[in-house]
Amino acid sequence: MSDIGKVRLRVPSTIKPGEVVRVRSLVIHPMERIERDKQGKVIERNYNYIDKVVVTYLGKTVATFETTQSVSENPFFSFTFRATDPGQLKVTFTDTTGGKFEGSADIKFS
Amino acid sequence: MRGWCESRRRPEPTRRSVLRALGTLGAAAAVGTLTGPRPARAQALGQQETVEAAMKRVFGTRAIKDGSALVKLDVPLIAENGAVVPVSVEVNSPMTPSNYVKHIYVVADKNRIPVVTKVTLSPEAGQAYVGENVRLGETGDVRAIVEQSDGTLLQVKREVKVTVGGCGG
Amino acid sequence: MVCGAAVGRAPRRTVARWLASALLIVGCSAASDAPTYSSIPSWTTHAIPEARGDIKTLPDGKREAMRYRGWTTEDFGAYRTYAYGDARPDIAVQRVVMPAGVVGDAKKGRALFLSRAKGPCTGCHLIPGNDVWPAGNVGPDLSTIADRKLPDAYLYQQIYDARITFPNTSMPPWGVSGALGAEEIVHLVAFLQTLKGPVPAEKDPDRNPETRHKPVGFGDNLDPTNNPAVLLAEDAGTQWNAKGPTGKACADCHAGGPATAMRGVATRYPKFVKANARVMSIEDFLTVHAPETIGAPLAAESAANLTMATLVKMASNGMPVDLDLTSPAARAALARGKASFYRRVGQRNHACADCHTPDKGANKFLGGRLLGDVTVGLSRHFPTWRTSQTEMWDMRKRMQWCMTPLGMNMLAADSIEYAELELYLASFDNGKPLSVPGIRH
Repeated sequence: MSDIGKVRLRVPSTIKPGEVVRVRSLVIHPMERIERDKQGKVIERNYNYIDKVVVTYLGKTVATFETTQSVSENPFFSFTFRATDPGQLKVTFTDTTGGKFEGSADIKFS
Repeated sequence: MRGWCESRRRPEPTRRSVLRALGTLGAAAAVGTLTGPRPARAQALGQQETVEAAMKRVFGTRAIKDGSALVKLDVPLIAENGAVVPVSVEVNSPMTPSNYVKHIYVVADKNRIPVVTKVTLSPEAGQAYVGENVRLGETGDVRAIVEQSDGTLLQVKREVKVTVGGCGG
Repeated sequence: MVCGAAVGRAPRRTVARWLASALLIVGCSAASDAPTYSSIPSWTTHAIPEARGDIKTLPDGKREAMRYRGWTTEDFGAYRTYAYGDARPDIAVQRVVMPAGVVGDAKKGRALFLSRAKGPCTGCHLIPGNDVWPAGNVGPDLSTIADRKLPDAYLYQQIYDARITFPNTSMPPWGVSGALGAEEIVHLVAFLQTLKGPVPAEKDPDRNPETRHKPVGFGDNLDPTNNPAVLLAEDAGTQWNAKGPTGKACADCHAGGPATAMRGVATRYPKFVKANARVMSIEDFLTVHAPETIGAPLAAESAANLTMATLVKMASNGMPVDLDLTSPAARAALARGKASFYRRVGQRNHACADCHTPDKGANKFLGGRLLGDVTVGLSRHFPTWRTSQTEMWDMRKRMQWCMTPLGMNMLAADSIEYAELELYLASFDNGKPLSVPGIRH
């Protein structure tokens, strides 16, 4: 599945200095759910799901999501940051197989 | 005798759901880099427990107050399916270094893995707001539990009815 | 045209009997033509194996349907389909009497009423109970039916075959089709006769479909942070540029990228394609066009077909659907598509119209699902991302899925019957803006 890890971020088109900005993010990921056999017993294996999302702004961590398989496939996350200076907003998704996926947006004022 | 559209099992992720593409990456696109396989961990199985056990594990015997004055939990009354249920939590908080929301927990009482997400915020977030799409196994309460920087715990919860079956599949 | 004149004209193909009853049901409208079936080419499917509607016979003689992974493999061959060559008559109406010597058990009846393996009856009918979730209101609320003091025999007949009383009912003929056994219906009658008023006050307005909140949908279908299909489609343009076995790519003949080259194209589909002498959707057309040009199959319901169809349709987003509905070929196809829409099929003996027209089931709840109204236009958001399936479905897969709960074998995804039915559906989208991909349950 070569589309795993595709990320899209959305920030408002105009941002004023000091504004609290809401960000929307989506990442393509199976968020594998626990499987059970016909007897209902859990099939033990390393399930592939995103378990951590880290949001940084100007290099500083703003928000961290510790997630479980109760989060939907192709997970959507929304959060805010205070836009103090122009610079990079970065969102890093990490999954349980070691996959690491990033999306970033250059924050500019207008 | 066959039933009312119940013959459909929930499918595994299909190859069809993934459109084969390479694509160039813009500023707000993905970089997929595998940092190497991590050893299989017990946690990768998913922490299955009852919600009571989860609450005890995470909060112990700490007092959890009613948060309805400060916490807004937005969930649909009825979810068309349990696969994608939008949840958002907004807390009335100044988000200053001396007074901010440190954690927001989203809990789904009836899920096998009831602790859906634990969010950690810093004052730089500017607002105590998070949103995500969650899976719900069945009709049940969804809770938002908020931990303030002074250690106060606040909770609000709402029932979400999950629609099952039907001819839409 | 004058109503009734068409009935005298016997079509060449052997569909005279159902055609006649279809005409009666369709009624007389100055704008609609009578369907004719004499000039339809036979069509060899170009669909992936799961989408061909094939039935295979196993070594032990049992018949099994080849369908998508996870779909039932049950063969519903006993029941009528949309196939133009399927000349089987309507299921005959039966007048019946209650079987002797069976004592009705109301408790068994209630279990049957709620059983997903049967109806469930709650799909259409509300009854009291906190465990009743979610009931529908396509049929009447039966919570106080015992107050009407209807004879057991009458209730038995209604469940067995309601068409005795209501010739055009949506109620399936449960006894005639064998979906419910005679003894089971006796238990159901016993249960219904316990439903006396007054009903307890409703604690939860969502329990009752009459007061239930309508679904709010899944938000902006064109927002790539909301609809995964948009995010996935954004990079699928590489398929446009990819060279096929002939060494050519779509881009070689269609310059400027899909957004430019294909702008407006999808507004005109489905349409009658002269070269193939049949109505085709974009998806159908690709199954023929791609092999002829780039040499790649783009089989119906393949990932490649779905991607390309989505790309082509996105190029027309915001533009109004602009179908040919007036040429002789279009009118003939529309007439057949409309006849299919009103045709009763399957074990449940349902027509599309039973659920999807405003004077029958549209905008009512079928179980927990709000039924769509064909007259508002239901095709312009296809292919759509389905959150419950985590994949894209085009209109044909959606039609094929409808077949399973109706208890009817599906046709090939690219069949002419489905194409003409889609044309009829799309006629209601005419003038309204395309918005692909959709996002739905």
